[in-house]
Amino acid sequence: MGEKILPEINKVQRHGLSVLFVHWTMALSTMVLIFSGFGQMPMYRRYGLTALPGLGWSADYSVTLIIHYIAAMLFLLAVFYHIVYHLIRKDFDILPRRGDMKESLAIMKSIIFGGKEPPCDKYLAEQRLAYAFIAFLVFAISVTGVIKVMKNLPSFNFSGNLLIWVNDVHTLASMLLVFGILAHLAAFVFRVNRPLIAGMFTGKVDLDYCKHRHCKWYDRLLLKESCKDRE
Amino acid sequence: MSGLTRRQFLKRTLASGVAGGLVLSGGVRIAHAASATDVMGTLYDLTRCDGCIGQKVPLCVTVCREENKSRFPDPVPAEQIQYYWPNKKKEDWQGKKHLTNRLTPYNWTFVQKAQVEHNGKPLEVFIPRRCMHCDNPPCANLCPFGAQYKSPEGPVLINKDLCLGGAKCRDVCPWGIPARQAGVGLYMKIAPKFLGAGVMYKCDLCYDRVKKGLEPACVVSCPRKAIMFGSKKTLREVAYKRAEEIGGFVYGDKENGGTSTFYVSSVPFEKINAALKEQKSRQQDPAATGFPLMQAGVANFLDSANGMVAGMLAAPVAGALAAGYAAYKTMKEG
Repeated sequence: MGEKILPEINKVQRHGLSVLFVHWTMALSTMVLIFSGFGQMPMYRRYGLTALPGLGWSADYSVTLIIHYIAAMLFLLAVFYHIVYHLIRKDFDILPRRGDMKESLAIMKSIIFGGKEPPCDKYLAEQRLAYAFIAFLVFAISVTGVIKVMKNLPSFNFSGNLLIWVNDVHTLASMLLVFGILAHLAAFVFRVNRPLIAGMFTGKVDLDYCKHRHCKWYDRLLLKESCKDRE
Repeated sequence: MSGLTRRQFLKRTLASGVAGGLVLSGGVRIAHAASATDVMGTLYDLTRCDGCIGQKVPLCVTVCREENKSRFPDPVPAEQIQYYWPNKKKEDWQGKKHLTNRLTPYNWTFVQKAQVEHNGKPLEVFIPRRCMHCDNPPCANLCPFGAQYKSPEGPVLINKDLCLGGAKCRDVCPWGIPARQAGVGLYMKIAPKFLGAGVMYKCDLCYDRVKKGLEPACVVSCPRKAIMFGSKKTLREVAYKRAEEIGGFVYGDKENGGTSTFYVSSVPFEKINAALKEQKSRQQDPAATGFPLMQAGVANFLDSANGMVAGMLAAPVAGALAAGYAAYKTMKEG
């Protein structure tokens, strides 16, 4: 389902099923990857996680490794779905643009100190920047993850130095991703961002919210609809 | 030969000829039958090893300790080593450096004695034990910090400057070989109370000697020529030939997906393992590491995960195909 204004229910269709599928598949697989990935480090037994009811298995590397592989499959499936889907549709709204840093600071200033926000497109400038940050980490994690899977195979024997780099980049990027996810969730501390939450579950956001905050996008939608009407 | 570079060593070993037909007779050494691309290995002939009867400590153990003493851990004094928070536990072997009847950070090889019954007769089998230097070592592959790797020459090596002593390598090793020493290594520079636990130590097949074209110290020391060193490929052939001669068995070829260490015995390894297991059950702590068993045909820790690689390859393809279909459908509708 494409984006469009739904005046009869006072909503705007912001995301189609594909976007919701990718978002939640990424969210679920990333959570599982983080848990099982940290489980690959010898810490759950030491720090007592295994003592918690139902988590006795968490220090069993053979279990967490299999879970990590399954989650990695879902993760890669979602990553490739996302790239191919948006490339075919030439849908690049979420990519960062020139001036995003400045605009992002202006939005944050208005959120914290009040005042008028700059007019926004479908995505806020900070959402586009956050996307770039997370996409870069996802790329680094995927590439190093694939090398890590290869090194486990009997037919591959990589040098010691490469293994250090691959392991360290994978771990560091994963930790930065945790930070990125926390920052992503922290955005909803601010009331003004909360209408976007419904959009990630239903695909729809309130019409008034859209008119007020995403006026550039709203104008584009109006233009699109008027062109359609003329056809 | 001590001044040889690795390149020279490999050239010479190549020149010395694949000498493929190098015959093992009367314990003649196999060394230097390797080609430039060969992985080196060792072969223990258990029909020859007698555990150095009459010696207080088997010679292979003594020379190993002498050869590697400069690389043994040098931790802070015992009283300064903190427990692995929040547990009241630490693995500190500096007060037990003298132990030669098990693997410790200060003892990288030892000789086990198994009492078995074979062909209706009681028999004593002596089994020198240390790292098997596996073909696809889970210890190295699964180290979360890349502190271990398999060298092109065959030995599996631990980077003592990077190891944090988490002991995952020991947990995923079918024989639980690496031994941990607390109070030493990188973790001491970070947050020794809360993170890290020391450094893992094990046999590296005298890697420095191997690089110079020399044999590992234990091989040179063995008075009964029970340990052979050379091209893994050649030693594998020798192992099976020897097993055929004595109607015996080979260990280390299939175990853990293949290793660079072969054992030949006239006694089935199932019997040896059962004897070792029984011995271990009588110890004060039957779960203690440092007393490896000899499980015949033991699987590699990574087998299950590696069986999922096809799925890993299929996932991106499935994602791309589904996306193509979804994009086509929505564009058509739009």
